[in-house]
Amino acid sequence: MAALGARRLLRPGRRWFSETVPGALSPPASPLYPPVVASITAKSKTAKSRRLQRFNQRVHAAATVEEKLRLYGKLQRPKYMVYPQTFALNADRWYRSFTRTVLVPGLPPRAAAAKPPAGRAPEPRAEASAEAPGVAEAPGAAKTPEPAAGAAPYLDIGELRSLTCDALLQESFYQNKKRPFLYRDQDHTPGPFLTQLVSTLAASLSVRNPLLAASSLDLKPEVNYYWHHGEEVVVHGHRKGRVDPVRFQIDDNPHLQIRVPKQLPEVVPLESDLGDVPVIDHKPSKLPLFKKQYENKVFIGSKVADPCCYGHTQFHLLPDKLKRERFIRERLEDQIEVVYRSNGIASLFAWTAAQAMYQGFWNEADVTRPFVSQAVVTDGKYFAFFCYQLNTLALTAETIKNNPRKNICWGTDSKPLYDVVEDGNVKGFNDEVLLHLVHFLLNRPKEL
Amino acid sequence: VFPGVRQAQWLTKTKLVEGLPPAVQGIVDNAALGLPELEERAKHMVSHARLWDTAEVAPRREQYCPVLFENLMHICRLMSGKYPSLSKRMLARNCRIAATWERESILLQVRGLSGILMNSMTPIPPVASKEEILATKEHVLETFYPIAPTIDLQEVNVYKELNDTGQCFRDGYPYSHPHTLFFLESANVRTDRFRPEQLRAKMLMFAFGNALAKAKVLHGNDPKVLDQPIVVQSIGTDGQLFQFMVFQLNTTDLVSNDGVKNLVWIDSDQNLYERAQCVPEVKKRVVTKPAGISGFQPDTFKKFLALYLHGTV
Repeated sequence: MAALGARRLLRPGRRWFSETVPGALSPPASPLYPPVVASITAKSKTAKSRRLQRFNQRVHAAATVEEKLRLYGKLQRPKYMVYPQTFALNADRWYRSFTRTVLVPGLPPRAAAAKPPAGRAPEPRAEASAEAPGVAEAPGAAKTPEPAAGAAPYLDIGELRSLTCDALLQESFYQNKKRPFLYRDQDHTPGPFLTQLVSTLAASLSVRNPLLAASSLDLKPEVNYYWHHGEEVVVHGHRKGRVDPVRFQIDDNPHLQIRVPKQLPEVVPLESDLGDVPVIDHKPSKLPLFKKQYENKVFIGSKVADPCCYGHTQFHLLPDKLKRERFIRERLEDQIEVVYRSNGIASLFAWTAAQAMYQGFWNEADVTRPFVSQAVVTDGKYFAFFCYQLNTLALTAETIKNNPRKNICWGTDSKPLYDVVEDGNVKGFNDEVLLHLVHFLLNRPKEL
Repeated sequence: VFPGVRQAQWLTKTKLVEGLPPAVQGIVDNAALGLPELEERAKHMVSHARLWDTAEVAPRREQYCPVLFENLMHICRLMSGKYPSLSKRMLARNCRIAATWERESILLQVRGLSGILMNSMTPIPPVASKEEILATKEHVLETFYPIAPTIDLQEVNVYKELNDTGQCFRDGYPYSHPHTLFFLESANVRTDRFRPEQLRAKMLMFAFGNALAKAKVLHGNDPKVLDQPIVVQSIGTDGQLFQFMVFQLNTTDLVSNDGVKNLVWIDSDQNLYERAQCVPEVKKRVVTKPAGISGFQPDTFKKFLALYLHGTV
């Protein structure tokens, strides 16, 4: 056949390509041939990137948020399970690198006191012990605009203190309970105390904060988030040698959380840079973190249809495994604060990121406004306060290349609320901790 | 065997009145509570508990019953903005109650975990007037001859007669008056749950036990007619049906069958909503039942709120 064809070509005279007149041919209205793109099914890098693009387009074009979440977590592969409450050493550095978070010691300045947020933002970083002057000036500054506004009544710390003491005394002293179950001390006294405290404080502060009046209180809700960060090479198995994103999943169970219908205001602008994110060269399994494969869940505590879709405050109770005495006994005193910080960072990242996904953002469609939430981590006596601002969801290997934004977490050290409960009296009550808690609960958008 | 409330009435020497007492009904009808937006919130809370609370498709009763209760309590507590004395309340979970009394030479005892108890610093004022209390003298308790009234009760040898809710709380507890008891029937399997009639009987017995223990603490152990009747309320639910009860203890003289009786007002089988559909039901490509809460009854929530506010409004 080839020889026949060649003879035909060599024969002169019969020429089958016509002469084209230059200039007479107008460019066609639509391209004659389809665009030349990489294949979809080939085993090549361009085919992989084309498949990824098609997937991204599918997610972008999803009609509802539920459909978007379903497509986002459709592929189930082994992923690292990140536990917010962990005994791993220096877990907060690892968690900050996984979630691209900057830790700023101290709490952000109160919205009433902070006129230009950019000007005030470096201050908490510069002052090492920011809480004492911060709290001393914040109530004063917070109280002076309010009588000028003429709306809110005077904040009665004495009454709130008596409510707190009553809750504490009821749970620890007055109510006759059986002995706590083995290693379940936290469910016996601090758990009910925290529930009682938050519910009564939220109810009494709802006068001053209309956002609390429209809030929804969850007891032991579930908060889940799934994300990709970084790349690794598959080590063994039939997919050996391929480059895969590193998948993480947080499954968190806060003791209590408050969800609100309106978002909390931003603390600093979206593009602010308040520090550095630690870079860790080791594999996450060195932390230790272990892989498991199950459903990729993204959940804030209730489904997308709930009107209270933004988070306000979470309350975490540390389990018996992570109590202070254990760390002191093993001579790891510096890890006590690490426990609180890692819990705050991981839980709040999961919650704010899940809230952002409920609004339709994901790592290809980054957030256009920052998401702010707060958390209180406690073991019943010591309280640590955290405030988190989510500025970016784009943490995958491709999207993080040109992403200058970082998430920010403000956090305090743990401080005791009281010294000891004896004979129906609470000794050594610390008003500062109560004031922090009250300010957290009173946080609301500016227009309310 | 036969309706449990009648048996409980005989055991506690109580007269039954259908419906809620006029004081509580007055709070229900009081329009100043701002109830329309509260109804909206209550509907959201029901949807949250029944539809949105879980990452799975539908929550089970063990999950949605307590969540619904907590949500309703959250709305009620937020009313303390308008009524500051509402903050003088405290919830106590897993309270153990024990009370003993004699009834026509039979020694009876109520013991056990009485659900969730709400205490307040101030007692609820008596709901029935003096005339109504005296009128109960003429009321004859229903007997069940030939069935002994202690049928279906467990007979045990009691070595110690335990008596107080001081057993539950120590002396000096500021919130010393039991206000309302809450019973949540949240077992998943229907046979593990109490039927509405049995639930009402259980509510009556525990309300009586709490009131009796309080009376013995306040007035001593001698059986007598109380000058200040003690009122304890009780609400029982299985996540959809609500039973409301207000119990007034007029007398601790329970040995004889005549004299002043105690009073109980029961409002039974109030549905909060008809159906909660998580996934729309589709038959032959047509949506027969859309997803969501249907048949929401705001009156039931109003009664819940009224019982909560009773005593402070």
